[in-house]
Amino acid sequence: MAAVTGNTRTVMTDSTGESQRGGRVLAPGRGGRSAETRWKRHIVGQLKHRDLSQHAKFQDLIRFYTQLLDRTTLTKGILSGSVRRPSSDSSISSLLHRNNQLKKTTGELAYQVVQLQQQIKIKECVLGEQHARRAEERRRLAGAFDARQELHERVEQVQEENGGLKTDYDALLERQRGAETKLREEKVRGGRLLEDMIHLKQQAAAHMNSRNERKSRAREANLQKELQTAARSKVTMDSCSSAPTSRSSSPNTADRTESSERRHRLFRSASVTSPRILSSIRELFQKRRGHSVSSLQEDLQRPVGICVSARVPERALHTLEAHEQGINAVRFSSSSDLLATGGTDRVIKLWEIRAGALTHRATLGGSTEGITCIEFDPTGLRILAASYDKSALLWRLDDSVPKLTLTGHSRKVTAARFSGCLHQVVTGSADRTIRLWDLHRAACVRVVEVASYCSDLICSENCIISGHFDSKIRVWDTRTVSCVQEIPAQGKVTSLDISSDHRQLLSCCRDDCLQLVDLRRRSNERMCFRADGFKCGSDSTKAVISPDGCFLAAGSADGAVYIWNVSTGNLESRLPDKHSSSISAVSWSLSGEYVVSVDKSRRAILWSDI
Amino acid sequence: MADDKDVLRDVWFGRIPTCFILNQDEVTEREAEPYYLLLPRVSYLTLVTDKVRKHFHKVMRTEDAEEMWFEYEGTPLKWHYPIGVLFDLHASNTVLPWSITVHFKNFPDRDLLHCPSNSVIEAHFMSSIKEADVLKHKSQVVNDMQKKDHKQLWMGLQNDKFDQFWAMNRKLMEYPTEEGGFRCIPFRIYQVTFLFSSCV
Repeated sequence: MAAVTGNTRTVMTDSTGESQRGGRVLAPGRGGRSAETRWKRHIVGQLKHRDLSQHAKFQDLIRFYTQLLDRTTLTKGILSGSVRRPSSDSSISSLLHRNNQLKKTTGELAYQVVQLQQQIKIKECVLGEQHARRAEERRRLAGAFDARQELHERVEQVQEENGGLKTDYDALLERQRGAETKLREEKVRGGRLLEDMIHLKQQAAAHMNSRNERKSRAREANLQKELQTAARSKVTMDSCSSAPTSRSSSPNTADRTESSERRHRLFRSASVTSPRILSSIRELFQKRRGHSVSSLQEDLQRPVGICVSARVPERALHTLEAHEQGINAVRFSSSSDLLATGGTDRVIKLWEIRAGALTHRATLGGSTEGITCIEFDPTGLRILAASYDKSALLWRLDDSVPKLTLTGHSRKVTAARFSGCLHQVVTGSADRTIRLWDLHRAACVRVVEVASYCSDLICSENCIISGHFDSKIRVWDTRTVSCVQEIPAQGKVTSLDISSDHRQLLSCCRDDCLQLVDLRRRSNERMCFRADGFKCGSDSTKAVISPDGCFLAAGSADGAVYIWNVSTGNLESRLPDKHSSSISAVSWSLSGEYVVSVDKSRRAILWSDI
Repeated sequence: MADDKDVLRDVWFGRIPTCFILNQDEVTEREAEPYYLLLPRVSYLTLVTDKVRKHFHKVMRTEDAEEMWFEYEGTPLKWHYPIGVLFDLHASNTVLPWSITVHFKNFPDRDLLHCPSNSVIEAHFMSSIKEADVLKHKSQVVNDMQKKDHKQLWMGLQNDKFDQFWAMNRKLMEYPTEEGGFRCIPFRIYQVTFLFSSCV
C-alpha cells in the first residue's frame, strides 16, 4: 500500500486515481486536447465522488454532534453545582439539626436586628444633631463668606487707594527728581556765575590797574614837561623874586589892580565877592604859596557861597567836545573855578575856567559804567559821583583813583549827595531804595525803602528830598527816616535842586515843566515855569536854580538853554543853536557868573554874560 | 486552467470525517465523550486538532495531560505526514468515520517526533517546499521570495485559506514557456512499515 504526493498536496486515494494520474503525466507530451479534457473531467469526477462519500455525508452530522456536545457540556456545568449539594446529605436528623441551628441563628439575627435598630435610632439622633450643626456651620460659613466678601471689597478699595497713593508718590518722586536735577543745574549755574563774576572783577581790577598806571605815567610826563618849562622860565622867576623892593610894592600893585578890577567890575556887576577877583588875588599869591600861611586857602574857600546877584548868561564863551561819549552830569565846585563833568565814558573830568575857557585839569577814573550824578563836597576837596555800575564813588581831588566805592544798590545809582554832616552820604537808586552811608566806616548805615524809582535827591538841613518816577516828591526826616511830606508833581521827576537859602525847591518833570516849591510853607503852592520849545529831553535832565535864587536854568531837548526869571515867572532868555542834541544837564557857578551846559553828544558849553 | 482550478479546489477542500476517542487507560474525572471532526486532507494532524485537545482536557486533570499523540489500531500516527497520506496509508479500507485514539501519556519517542509548537510544523512544511523547488527550478523561485511571501504560504495552509495559499503557490508551480515544463517533477513516496524518501 503506497501513496504518492507532489508538493501540490494532490493525494490520489485509490487505485483508479493512481492509474489515471499516470496518464496525466504522459498526456501533455503527446495527447490531444480532447483527451486532456477527458481525463481531467474524470479526475474531477473522482474527486467529487470521494467528497461525496467522505465529506458531504458526515459534514452535517459532525456539525450537529459538535453543537450537541457543546450544549451538553454547558448543561452539565449548570447542573453540576445544584445537583451535588442535596445529593451530599440525605439524612433527616442532620436536616433537623441544621434546622435548629438555623432557628437559633434566626433568633440571634432577630436580636441583632433589634440591637441594630436601636443603634440606628442613636445614629439618627446623632445625624439630626449633625444636621443641625451642619446648618449652623452653613450659616456661619455664609456669614464668613459675607465677611470675606466685605474684606475683599475693602482689600480692593485699599488697593485702589494704594494705587492712587503710589501714582501720587511716583509723581512726587518724579518732581523731586526734577527738582534735584534743577537744583544741581542751578548749583552748577551758580558756580559758573560765581566764576564769571570773579573773572569780571579780575578784569575790572586789571583794567583799573592799567588805567592807573597810564595816568601816573601821564602825570609823570606832565610833571616832566612842567619841570622843563619851569627850567626854561627860571631866569625871570629869579629876577622877580630876587628884587626885594618889589616884594613890598607888589601888594600895592595887587591892591591897585584889585581896586581897578573892582571898579571895572562894579561897573558891570554887583557881585562883590566875585571869584574872578578872588582868583586873581590867588594868582597873585600863588607865586609865593610856599611862604604864605596855610589858612589863606581855607579863607579863600570858605566865604564863597553868598551870591548877591547872578548874571544871566548871554553867549557861549567856550565850546568843546569834553568827553568821548555823551555827558550826563556837570557841576561847579563851591569855588566856582573848578568844573566837573561826568559822562557815559565812565570818567569824571575836572576843568578849570581860565580866561573864559575850560582847561582840562584832571581825569578821575574808577567807575566801571557811566556817571549819572556829580557833587563836590562843601570844602571842594572831594567829589562824589553816582554811577550806572550800582555804586557811588568818592574821590579826593588830588587823587585820580577813587578813595571809596560804595556798593550795595541793586540797580543804577541815580543820585549821590553829601548830607548835612560831612561824613555822611545819601544815595538814591533805581532799585527804589535810598541809602545812607557813613564815610568813616565806608558802610551803608541805613536803607530806606521808597515806593518808586528814585531819580534824584537833595539834602537839606535834617531832611532828604527825593524825586520819583511816580510823580511824587517825598521829604524824609534824616533822624527818624520817615516820609514827612509828599509833594505832588505833574510827571516823572527828573531832577531836583534847592536854592542856596534852602527855601525853594526846584523840580524838573517829564511834562516839560519846572516847578518851584516854597519849602517853608507846608502847602502845595507852587510856581510852574514853561516855555514854547522847552522839552525835557530825558528821564535825568537836570535843571538848576541860580545861586541868588532869581533865575532858573534848564536845557531842552532841542539843544537850547532856557532861563526863567523867578520873580516874574517869565522866560528870561533862550540860548539856542550851540548844542546839536538834547541837553542833559546845566550848572550855574556859585559866583553866578558862568553857566555850563552839557549834552548827549559830548559837547560842553561855557556860557557867560561877557 | 478553469478545470485545473476545479481540481485544485477539490483537492484542497478534501475532508476526512474522524472520530477521536480518548484512550481507555487515561485517567479522567468523568466519562469522556468522543469528538468528531472533518480533517482537511492537505493539513497536518497537530495543526488541526486544537479543539480535540481542549475537549479532552475538560475531563482530565491538568497534571495528567502530557503531550497529545494519536494512534490508529495500534499504529502511532506521524504528525509530519499529511493527513490524507496517513488516512490512505493506514485506513483506506476502514468504515467511516475514521476512528483515532487519543493519548496523553506514554509518548512513543521511538516512533514519533515531538511537536511542541506550530513553528516546528512550519519549519517542516517550508523545508518540503524548498526541496520541491530545488527539483523544479533549482530553488530559484523560493530564494527570490521574500519572508512575507513564505509567511503567506504558511498562513494560507494554517488557516485553510485557499486563495491566499495559491496566490503564492502559483509562482512555485509556473515554468517558463520555452522550457515547456519543470526540470524535474518531485515525488515523495511513503510506506507503511518503514519510511524513506527519494527523488525521481
